[in-house]
Amino acid sequence: MNTAPATSIGSGIGSGIGSGNGSAVHGISHLVIEVADAQRAARFYAENLGVHGAALADWPEADELALALRSGQMLVFKSGSGGKTHQESGVHQAYRCTAGARSVIEAKLADTGIAVHRYHEDRPAEAREPFYFTDPDGNRVQLVTVPGNEPGNETGIWGIDHAAIQASDMEWEEAFFVDRLGFAVDHRVGWNTEDYVRARAWAEGHDDMAPGTRRMDHRYRDNPGAEPGSSREVPRPNIQIFLGLGGSVLGIFLATFHLQEPAPELARGTPRTALAMDRAGLKAMAAALDSAGVALDGPVIHGPGAPLAESLYFRDPCGNFFEFCVPADSRG
Amino acid sequence: MAEVESISHSGICVHDLKEAEDFYCNVLGAKLHSRVNFKTQDALRGRSIHTTLTLDDYVFAVMLTEDWMVVPEPGQLRGVNRTRHSFCVPKARFPKVLEMLEAFEVPFEGPVSHPQCGPFGESIYFRDPTGNFLEVLWRRDEDVVYNIVQPLGHGGGG
Repeated sequence: MNTAPATSIGSGIGSGIGSGNGSAVHGISHLVIEVADAQRAARFYAENLGVHGAALADWPEADELALALRSGQMLVFKSGSGGKTHQESGVHQAYRCTAGARSVIEAKLADTGIAVHRYHEDRPAEAREPFYFTDPDGNRVQLVTVPGNEPGNETGIWGIDHAAIQASDMEWEEAFFVDRLGFAVDHRVGWNTEDYVRARAWAEGHDDMAPGTRRMDHRYRDNPGAEPGSSREVPRPNIQIFLGLGGSVLGIFLATFHLQEPAPELARGTPRTALAMDRAGLKAMAAALDSAGVALDGPVIHGPGAPLAESLYFRDPCGNFFEFCVPADSRG
Repeated sequence: MAEVESISHSGICVHDLKEAEDFYCNVLGAKLHSRVNFKTQDALRGRSIHTTLTLDDYVFAVMLTEDWMVVPEPGQLRGVNRTRHSFCVPKARFPKVLEMLEAFEVPFEGPVSHPQCGPFGESIYFRDPTGNFLEVLWRRDEDVVYNIVQPLGHGGGG
């Protein structure tokens, strides 16, 4: 694949809505997803989601293939590993598009034999016209329509709306992202009885919910007096928290199974969520991470032709890889 | 006779865990001890969703209910609805409780004076955001030691 000039983080990403350091985040810069073959994945996203264009030149990671989205954000493929998205988890990537573009994409997916799911999530902002499918590498994709928010692109996705990861400890995640880094809470799920009641409706087949939003818990003991084994399952909302990242959102879902975490000393890896900020923001974030004792890789100064000026790599408390980065147009 | 000695802890059922945490911590001064079912290991064990709080030496949990409970009419601040938790403060701190309830715009009834011959001085009655009835009182006999509080632990024996 040919290479194209670097792009800057686009104007489509809104201003920060967080507090403290969190307001320094301008939005999601790029997502690095794992695929078996980056070239094949790029073809799939070009042919079906309208992500055209050559791979970005001088991308910092030699084994990653980066494509520019119309928003100025980037979608990056890491070859060789295959998608690690567990189908029963809440992990997914969501892209914005117009309703017209979604119809075009749906027709292409049908031609490709890829099923579209209409289950929905709990976050009110995502309640409108649910649309999910799985790419050939197992990465779950959601399309979010935001009328009037995208400059006329009727053939493909416009940019990254949000990303969702999973974590083994939601308290650690909130303490890290909200208390330490100052991100704002956009929405919580699983904290109130209404969520519970909806979980029961889901268990009874009345509410088609996306993977990772609900779960059947196996109680550690029967209720007193109950038939042995008869009350061991209970439908529950799966705990979720959504964080505001400038104009983007990061969803964190409680992992319902134990995952093998990367080695403790590994600060850079995939899949990876990258958040854009300016130099001052990166400096403040680096200080906040350092004071929290987080192992850091960087800040790494990238080459003059790279789409990014600087990157700081680290992991959240549950082993998810993150990158805080300064876009190329902030290069001084 | 079983000869149980005292309340070890209690659970207060709520409709919104975050709202309950904020109320008991910010208004009444409880401290958050721990949350359950926010970790994978809790989910795998099927444990209930609740938060353990402490008020001095009293341990209680706000527990998320799986279904809607019957809630008293909004204007009712005192009465019987499952149970009423009554917390005690020294007389000197009693005005501070009123001040906090007013600051957080929590409606309350009282102070209500109790008979001079009894141990209770004054009470105020209010409810948490879910609608559970609560009471805070001071005791006339607050200087009397009825029972030495044992260190927390199984059986209270430390």
